[in-house]
Amino acid sequence: MRSNAGGIAATAIALFLGILVVTQFRSQDVYSRSLQLETPASLTTLIANLSDRNNSLRDEIFDLRLRVTAARDSVTSGKGSLNESQHEIDQLKIFTAQSAARGPGITVKIDGTFDDRAMSDLTNELRNAGAEAISVNDARVGPRSWYASGPEKTIILDGRQLNGPWTVKAIGATEVIYVAITRTGGIQGQFALIYPRTRFTVAKESVLELVAVTARR
Amino acid sequence: MTTLAAARDPKRERLQHAFALLVPAVLFGFLVTSQWQGQQERSQIAVRYNAPLTDAAFALQKEQNDLKAQLQDLRAQLDQIQANAATQGGAASELQTRIADLRAQAGLTAMAGDGVVVQLDDSHTATAGAANLDQAICHSTDLTDILNTAWRGGAQAIAVNAQRVVSTTSVYCVGSTIMVNGTLMSPPFNIAVIGPQNTILGGFDDPNQLKDIKTRRDVQGLGFRVTRATAVNVPAYDGALTVRVAVPQ
Repeated sequence: MRSNAGGIAATAIALFLGILVVTQFRSQDVYSRSLQLETPASLTTLIANLSDRNNSLRDEIFDLRLRVTAARDSVTSGKGSLNESQHEIDQLKIFTAQSAARGPGITVKIDGTFDDRAMSDLTNELRNAGAEAISVNDARVGPRSWYASGPEKTIILDGRQLNGPWTVKAIGATEVIYVAITRTGGIQGQFALIYPRTRFTVAKESVLELVAVTARR
Repeated sequence: MTTLAAARDPKRERLQHAFALLVPAVLFGFLVTSQWQGQQERSQIAVRYNAPLTDAAFALQKEQNDLKAQLQDLRAQLDQIQANAATQGGAASELQTRIADLRAQAGLTAMAGDGVVVQLDDSHTATAGAANLDQAICHSTDLTDILNTAWRGGAQAIAVNAQRVVSTTSVYCVGSTIMVNGTLMSPPFNIAVIGPQNTILGGFDDPNQLKDIKTRRDVQGLGFRVTRATAVNVPAYDGALTVRVAVPQ
């Protein structure tokens, strides 16, 4: 009897033990992405980014409401909607890089070794910071722009060869973009570690003038 | 006789049984305790910081979806007013045609056509804490590299998990969370590309392009697949145009 009872107890414990070991092993082993698993610091950054995006949307909704009202009034009074249409064309031409653009922003001067993937990352970072128009060495970056590596450490933008040193211009909210690029742990700091011999200079500009995008390929 | 007597000694038998149970019992206790403690530590941190922050992030994402819907509605209203005015002909009609063309180029209208679909996913054998975990999972730079290859191949329109890629699109990464157009996303990523199939596929097949992704696919099991597709749907961009300080010259 005692021998049977001991065997059953040992089996039960061994079974629990097995389940626990497997559960713990699996819970530690599987990599999963979940917002709940992010650190508080990452979540705070994500929230700041979402808030900025939502504020931009609110601003645009506010503007658009005014424009809808103005267009409706204008049509009702027999003036048509020419002004509103022209306003939209101007906005879309900037957005699609089809018109030259003017405004405040920043310049990033890159003197030394650099490559097409890093330039793509810088463009992405500037866009994330809210850049409205970007150019590299006076070649405008458009909605379908692409980078490639060129001969002798040059960078190709939309098929056009750009020799270093490179000057990247970005029109937008100057302070916001400047802080996004130069903040501790930001892209400028990362580049400085990856390309230690390359000189990166970021400057605020009160007025920048960017050309329109050139024909593709 | 002496040996047999010792083997059947009830005291010794009890002692043997006790030892047999002692080892698994100690292990059992250790595992239960460690798991309970780990759970408690995680939940304490989660309750204090992550839970409210995660709730806030989800609430902001929901708010963003609502704001985008409002924006779409207003754009449609404005479009209707302009379209009605354009029926009178003349300059209004010409401007309306120009607006329609620019909107299409800006990505404000949905598009459908032949192209390719790229799928990018974390390796299914990725193990948390592994030394090579970084190599086995998707990064924002993988997405920007794929977009770059597609544009280079002549893509006319691209969307990442139904987010249209436009001139202001950024792929942003915080921790392991990726945002495209400010929208929270997680793998798998489906990148819908409309454009000349052969040229685009040629770019993706070129061994000199996307070397890093292809190596990680072959070695670490990163999910990366490019397929020819017909009737690819790319939705319209539903975010803000954010042209605030730039003026045309």
